[in-house]
Amino acid sequence: MGRRRRPAELAGAAGALPEAIAALSRALPAGPSPETFRRAKFDRPEAAPALWRLLFRVLSPPRADGASASRALEAQARWVKAALLTQGYPRLRLARLPDDGSQGSRELLLALSWLLARKPLLEPLLARTRVRLGDELPAFECGALASPSLPAPRLEADGPVDACHLQWLMGKLRFRWRNLMASQQEQCALLGKIHMYTRGCHSDCRLGHLSVAETELLRDPEGGRQLLRRLESENARLGAALEWWRRELVFWQWMDTVLGACPPEAPQPACPPGLGGRGRTAGAWDPAVWELQALQEELQAAVGARRAAWAARVRGQGPEWSAARQAAQEATREAVGRELAALRQAWERGGGPQPHGPLRLVRTEAGAPGGPGLRAVEAIGALKSREACLEAALHQLQAQCRQQLARLAGALPGLLWIPPPGR
Amino acid sequence: MLPLGCSRRLVAELRDALDTCAERQRQLEQSLRVSRRLLRTWEPAETPTPTPEPTPGPETNEEAPSSAGTPSPQDLKELELLTQALEKAVRVRKGISKAGERDKASSQKSGSIATSATTAAAPHRASQTKLPRGTRQATRPAKGLPKPKLLSAGDQTCIGRGPLAAKPGPGLRDQQIAPSAAPQAPEAFTLKEKGTLLRLPMAFRKAASQNSCLWAQLSSTQTSDSMDATTSSKTQFLQKMQVTSGWPSSGLSAAEVEAEVGRLQKACLLLRLRMEEELARDPTDWMQEYRSLLTLEGLQAIVGQCLHRLRELQPVVEQQLGPWPEERLPMASLPCGGGAEPTWSPQLLLYSSTRELQTLAALRLRVDMLDQQIHLEKVLMAELLPLVSMQEPLGPPQLALCRAVHSLLCEGGQHFLTILRDEPAD
Repeated sequence: MGRRRRPAELAGAAGALPEAIAALSRALPAGPSPETFRRAKFDRPEAAPALWRLLFRVLSPPRADGASASRALEAQARWVKAALLTQGYPRLRLARLPDDGSQGSRELLLALSWLLARKPLLEPLLARTRVRLGDELPAFECGALASPSLPAPRLEADGPVDACHLQWLMGKLRFRWRNLMASQQEQCALLGKIHMYTRGCHSDCRLGHLSVAETELLRDPEGGRQLLRRLESENARLGAALEWWRRELVFWQWMDTVLGACPPEAPQPACPPGLGGRGRTAGAWDPAVWELQALQEELQAAVGARRAAWAARVRGQGPEWSAARQAAQEATREAVGRELAALRQAWERGGGPQPHGPLRLVRTEAGAPGGPGLRAVEAIGALKSREACLEAALHQLQAQCRQQLARLAGALPGLLWIPPPGR
Repeated sequence: MLPLGCSRRLVAELRDALDTCAERQRQLEQSLRVSRRLLRTWEPAETPTPTPEPTPGPETNEEAPSSAGTPSPQDLKELELLTQALEKAVRVRKGISKAGERDKASSQKSGSIATSATTAAAPHRASQTKLPRGTRQATRPAKGLPKPKLLSAGDQTCIGRGPLAAKPGPGLRDQQIAPSAAPQAPEAFTLKEKGTLLRLPMAFRKAASQNSCLWAQLSSTQTSDSMDATTSSKTQFLQKMQVTSGWPSSGLSAAEVEAEVGRLQKACLLLRLRMEEELARDPTDWMQEYRSLLTLEGLQAIVGQCLHRLRELQPVVEQQLGPWPEERLPMASLPCGGGAEPTWSPQLLLYSSTRELQTLAALRLRVDMLDQQIHLEKVLMAELLPLVSMQEPLGPPQLALCRAVHSLLCEGGQHFLTILRDEPAD
């Protein structure tokens, strides 16, 4: 087997596949050795644990890496199975693999390839563990604060609690937020100073000043060395990822053969087996339907009233009035259509006005034209409108509650309900 | 007391929220520690073993142990003069040669050009001067180590080599070099005064620029469409996977369905807000009236579509795959940015004053906090409202519960209403 390099397009090049697999294994976090991949093709059991762990690492949410990585193989295997099924993994065989993580390497290899084929997998993984050289405002992913973390087994068997306990917890939460605000303000002040004091130091003139990480590496050489090592290993991974992209065609051709080597599945009935309960989404589905139905009724009433009023107005005028106003009405129709389309974007795209990706803070002079980048003023504006929207949403929810509770109160005669002052 | 299941779920949610906050606080405090340390006087670096070497020459350095007496005024004056002379020489040189890569000297003391704060009072201590650029060290530590290249221009700081160990090494051997070594008054290094003189080490700069170059390549390969053969083979593979699977394609995966339901919930909220905004307006002329009518009709149409979509999802929702309830799986294990992230290299956020930065950060926190509050509000509503509606008897415990629930749901747990029994005066 010669080591001549051939372009990846020439399928069957004997040297290209091992290199592609090697690149993939270097690019993945905790990537298994290329040998593991080869063993997995033949469904060797010794390859299974490494692949379970890899899939666990790949599928876990970003914040959970630390504690959960040390969980037992069985727990990880179970979790991976559930996660893959929620993502829609089509093969039934995965669900039938034993929980102890000892088998199924070929299936896991197929699962990994399935994840790689569907959506970009490597890039988000790399971006997650990216070495941050600049200072950034904590930019949390949408809803990350609200989303549950990886299930840490909560073993406390709590008894039932009082509403007071809940109020106490809410108060504690409020206090923590206040602390957070204060600390954040202080951090910003310090950042401002550091940026100001180190202006002119950076080799990259777009940046102009050092960040905390860079200044820290100057102060503490040991830390600096570690940072450098992390940078270099990230560079290696990035290089591996780029090489993988150049070579991945052979990998897919190889995966076809792996899939072919699997024994055929017996066709199953349409309903997948082994379900317990309606799952979590069902819990959210019902209220969503009720809310939308309630909204629909309200809109129906409002529209009915307005339409009647409009019809009355048009009747009162003559036909020439309507004809004269056609153009204006058309324009209005278009404007409303555009506005509603923009409204739709707010939930369909899911991103909204927030800029994606990490943002490095750069201090500039107030009057300077500045290079490419987002201006703080614009970001502030976007955040303010988002804040207003969220506040309105919160008040609306609270108003809903108030209405419902007032209805209940109305059903209980003989009591006076005095709202708290200031309302 | 609340029922057991309800209690557990609510307490778990609130604890989650508290933990998230605590984690964020912890990270912030870590950053604060680092930043505060940077703004103080920089301590000399770590190495615990001082290696004071005897220095030849009268005017050159002496390793003065801390027990040495205070310097004489004459020495101080000499020091001053020498410092100024050196500064001038260095300034001249700076004009000639280019900024120092190859540099030198006492940048051995990587990063910290400080005397310790406590001994700063004793100005005269053995010190190594900063050699002007272009001089070479006889021995240099391995170049893999990042060292700051301190420009000598205007730099009067010198490595304070007090009894507090300076880094041993080549720095001490400076004195062999000719233009060397006027002992200079060591000064503490603070970022405020000397920050503009720092330079990043070469190795680091290379690695960092390579890093951003690689990231740029990465994002460009993602957006380029040159991978047709690869894309089609991937699609083929996916189709084959589907075909050889155990059951026919069910269309949407559970994760996608959940995401869709979440989107539609958000849609409901936004549509409601828009409706209320519209209803609150009072149209003054026919044009506004018409516009208002059209908007409301448009909203009605959209709500109809959303409902339709939700109803379409019902059969998928009913058949759930896999065991869910105990393990709370993450909603989106892959980042939920809309579609492909076009660039992963950090964009810049330009600010011009500390006040601006603080406003931005505060708003950011406020938005996150509101997000969390809305989530908690929904969870509380889902659990508590059914409880309260079910209560029949009018005894004090139920009233207390009503009052508590009202406070939690409507006032964020901060205010309470009062319930009075409306009895006729006897």
